[in-house]
Amino acid sequence: MSAPTPIGRRRLLQLAALGGVAGLAGCGGKGLDSSGSDAEGKQLQFMFWGSTAEQKAIAKMLADFEKERSGTTVKPVYTPADYDTKLNALVASNRQPDLCYMQSPMGYRLAEQGKLVNLYPYFDKYPDLANRLPGAYFWWDKGKTYGTQSANEIMSLWYSKAAFADAGVSPPPAEAEQAWSWDTFVETAYKLTVDQNGKHPDEDGFDPKRIRQYGASAGLGATVWQPLLLSRGINFTDEAATRSMLDTPEAIKVFQDLADLMFEHRVAPTPAQLGNNAPSTTVQLKTRRVAMVIDGQWTLLDLSQGDLDFGMGVLPKYEKPMTITLGGATAIFSSTKHEQEAVELYLYHDNPTKVDLFASGLWMPLEKRYYTDQADIDVWTKNDAHPPEYRTAAIDYTMKNSAPYFYQKLRNIEAIDKVLTPAIEVIQQGRTPAAEVLKPLAAKLNGGLLRGAYPTDGT
Amino acid sequence: MATGPPAGRRWRRSPDLAQSERRWGLLLAAPAILGFGIFTIGPMVASLVFSLTDWRIGAPARFVGLGNYDRLANDPLFWKSLNVTTYYTLGVVPLTLLIGFVVALLVNQGIRGKSFWRTVYYLPTLVPAVASSVLWIWIFNPDFGLLNSLLRQGGLPTSSWIYGERTAVPSLIIMSTWGFGNAMVIFLAGLQGVPRHLYEAVAIDGGGTWARFRHVTLPFLTPVIFYNLVTGVIGTFQVFNQAYVMTRGGPNNATQFYLYYLYTKAFTDSEIGYASALAWVLFVIVLVITVLLFRNARRWVYYEIGGAR
Amino acid sequence: MNPVEAPAAPASAGPEPPRTRAPRRRQAPRPVGLGQVGRRSVIWIVLTAGGLLMLLPFLWLVRSALMTDNQIFVSPPEWIPRPFAWSNFAEALTAQPFARYFLNTMIIEVIVVTGTVITCALAAFSFSRLRWRGRNLIFGLLLTGVMLPYAVTLIPTFVMWGSIGALDTFVPLTVPAWFAGAGGGVFNIFLFRQFFLSIPYELDEAAYIDGATPWKVFWGVIMPLSKPVVVVVVIFTFIGVWNDFLGPLLYLTSDSKFTLALGLAGFQSTYTAQWGYLMAASLVVILPIIGIFFVLQRYFVEGVTLTGVKG
Repeated sequence: MSAPTPIGRRRLLQLAALGGVAGLAGCGGKGLDSSGSDAEGKQLQFMFWGSTAEQKAIAKMLADFEKERSGTTVKPVYTPADYDTKLNALVASNRQPDLCYMQSPMGYRLAEQGKLVNLYPYFDKYPDLANRLPGAYFWWDKGKTYGTQSANEIMSLWYSKAAFADAGVSPPPAEAEQAWSWDTFVETAYKLTVDQNGKHPDEDGFDPKRIRQYGASAGLGATVWQPLLLSRGINFTDEAATRSMLDTPEAIKVFQDLADLMFEHRVAPTPAQLGNNAPSTTVQLKTRRVAMVIDGQWTLLDLSQGDLDFGMGVLPKYEKPMTITLGGATAIFSSTKHEQEAVELYLYHDNPTKVDLFASGLWMPLEKRYYTDQADIDVWTKNDAHPPEYRTAAIDYTMKNSAPYFYQKLRNIEAIDKVLTPAIEVIQQGRTPAAEVLKPLAAKLNGGLLRGAYPTDGT
Repeated sequence: MATGPPAGRRWRRSPDLAQSERRWGLLLAAPAILGFGIFTIGPMVASLVFSLTDWRIGAPARFVGLGNYDRLANDPLFWKSLNVTTYYTLGVVPLTLLIGFVVALLVNQGIRGKSFWRTVYYLPTLVPAVASSVLWIWIFNPDFGLLNSLLRQGGLPTSSWIYGERTAVPSLIIMSTWGFGNAMVIFLAGLQGVPRHLYEAVAIDGGGTWARFRHVTLPFLTPVIFYNLVTGVIGTFQVFNQAYVMTRGGPNNATQFYLYYLYTKAFTDSEIGYASALAWVLFVIVLVITVLLFRNARRWVYYEIGGAR
Repeated sequence: MNPVEAPAAPASAGPEPPRTRAPRRRQAPRPVGLGQVGRRSVIWIVLTAGGLLMLLPFLWLVRSALMTDNQIFVSPPEWIPRPFAWSNFAEALTAQPFARYFLNTMIIEVIVVTGTVITCALAAFSFSRLRWRGRNLIFGLLLTGVMLPYAVTLIPTFVMWGSIGALDTFVPLTVPAWFAGAGGGVFNIFLFRQFFLSIPYELDEAAYIDGATPWKVFWGVIMPLSKPVVVVVVIFTFIGVWNDFLGPLLYLTSDSKFTLALGLAGFQSTYTAQWGYLMAASLVVILPIIGIFFVLQRYFVEGVTLTGVKG
């Protein structure tokens, strides 16, 4: 700022000196963010999101790691919300943590810029890193991966046993081979949907404005429609990920079926009826608002803690029974001064024998052996949180009937999402047939937004 | 900008005083000026420079001149967000001002439990943003929400509120208007400065309640009205929270507020360059509106009124 | 109108301005027509109806804070918790070290509120009542600081604090307040300025004639007349800090330094929400600011006597 008079300038200088003092006071604070700068021990920073319960589980895991590896300390940086904002600010100012959770698109972007550690060279040394579910890896090039998901998840069908018993209907199958057809799913939902007078949607006098219990809740989220597309033998895009398949008759049918569930059959709540920030699946099932819900495996944590008699089933199918695997990423920044320790912490943080979050039902493991060897399966499923049908409904289902979530594999997904989400919201409002939305949507996507996929296997 | 210096009408300043005012003027404003110089101008200039690059966080920045601004002109979401935000501003600012003003007058009366009423009317602005957004999501829920339940009981047609493309922005306007408390508090403070003897003067001249309002209260409050107007416009153009927490810009971009779009560009897509260009366009728009408001203020804002008529 | 309230007149009004005697205060003549009682009851009815509307969000918060997650979402909504889930409070408040967060928040509050009020009032006094070249230009310039969305200045600002090693300290959250609240603080300067501009200049003149310095005028004449606006700035600043979430989130990494607003965010984190806890903790967190507002609004007392010039 200019100071017009000499006296003013002197005053300004005095105050500037004062400001300098304030600045110095700032320097008094330890630069905790400069990882590992202290000579006496190796320090890592681990940044993560999650509920307060997850915060405690992660803090315990990190403390255990410190104990097992004396000389290395880990500072947890818990960031409950606005995670991307903080991570961007840290990266932009070159103060990134050593390890952190990350949305996969940002991971790819940073990896391509050489900001993330390539974990492929560690595969030989650590079999646990090499033998994970193929869909869980984030390959950005041949022989280049910035790691895997922090944990695995799949999409499942959850239900209230009481609701099915009351309606006298047999519950959803827990084995992929016996998965309901879409029609059976809808029929069952009819039997489970009742209004305040106990009438079903196919009975005279049914009042759709006063529904006591909905048969099903599915919505129109990508994690719901992608498995159904897969079940019809198609996907969001073709193999090369340059052409959208949303305008195929198969896709249109899937979307229309999902919309009909809400608006035609009236056996499922609309997003509006359910509400943004919808009550959790557990609450919906407990309050008998809904009899069955399509939701992620993670909801098991919540479900198993209540006193609800719930069951877990596989998703309905068209042709092939299919679900998707998904999960956020954990990555190591190449700026870390202790890469070796960081990799070891990486392997520690998603190890089911070290972290409670697997046994408590929130996470599924990444290494294949936890899905194939009985002893390893027991490590994380032999407990009260996991229901008996989990073996077939989750473990076998993952191994035999899953494909990765397309959000984790496509290039340019942020731009795609900006076009995709609003279009799906139009279908969601129930006034426009799916075909009318999907055809222009596909044309838009084909107009340069689809730019291929990242490698599914970079070995 | 702004109004001229207070005119020393019947009294000429001595040169000594003029010099003293200059010195003290700079000294007293120094913290603010320094603060601007240290904390504000640097980041502002930085973002202006960013807006001329295609910088994505993690990648090196590349100078693209006015490329971002070019791209922006052809970005349908830019135009959409500008429209939506303007619509929202035109709804919220007048409503907040009007209701805030009326309620301030009411709770300034000599009524029993004045403190209680003031607190009640200010309450909605005190509920933290996280909680109040969650609250409103329930209130707006078409199925089990409060509003539709009331409408149903009253036998009135219900609305899909924030879930309908056409009703989403009006719903958020209603919600924001609930927070008129800040404007009310400022009006309340303003009302305390109205000299009582002027009311008496009006009364002696035979004026009633309306005359007192029209010739004393209103002119005396114009500086405060002006303040609420200007800050309301600046703030409302940067509306963000409801879109962020409640609607995620939907449905079908109906609540794709400008700052929400900018924010996702900056922190979901890490496109700081483009986001900065968006920011500077908004800056110019708000600046122009503010300058116009200040110009216009000369006609209707009464400052330093010794004897408002 | 009730003119009986005591005026918040300057206690130490500094030099008494000449030829400015307020007319003796007396009862204002009553408006004819609807009697005082009738008029008051109308106001009272309007206030009650509006007040109920205003209370809705708050009551909804209270009822939700006392409910289990199951009952919160029951349709049609219920108002009476069955049973009262008092445990929400105990569990929410012990889930995190809220006492610590409260202390942290209060430390920031004290520094920020004091700094903001003092430096903003001084600047506003300079911009409104002292004549110096370029003051309107500079005031305008300061005002532009709030027109650029913070989202794009956030990163450069963060980099700046990082470069002087102030991350994970309260410095970035408090020091700017002593520079007129840098950035957002200009709204306070503006607010003070608007109030100062409506105080008759004759008061200053009189003081200057008596040989006062501008500081004396500020402290002895203007500030005593400005209690209501000071209260407004205190309230706004206090609440702003209380609810500020992004600042602490960005600058604080150690959870021992977290603030209340950050603590609340843990209940509604990226993928999960614990509604009952969130509502219970929110309720506890806003009670102090409701109390503070209730106490401070008493300073909005009618009838500040502006020693009626030309009265």
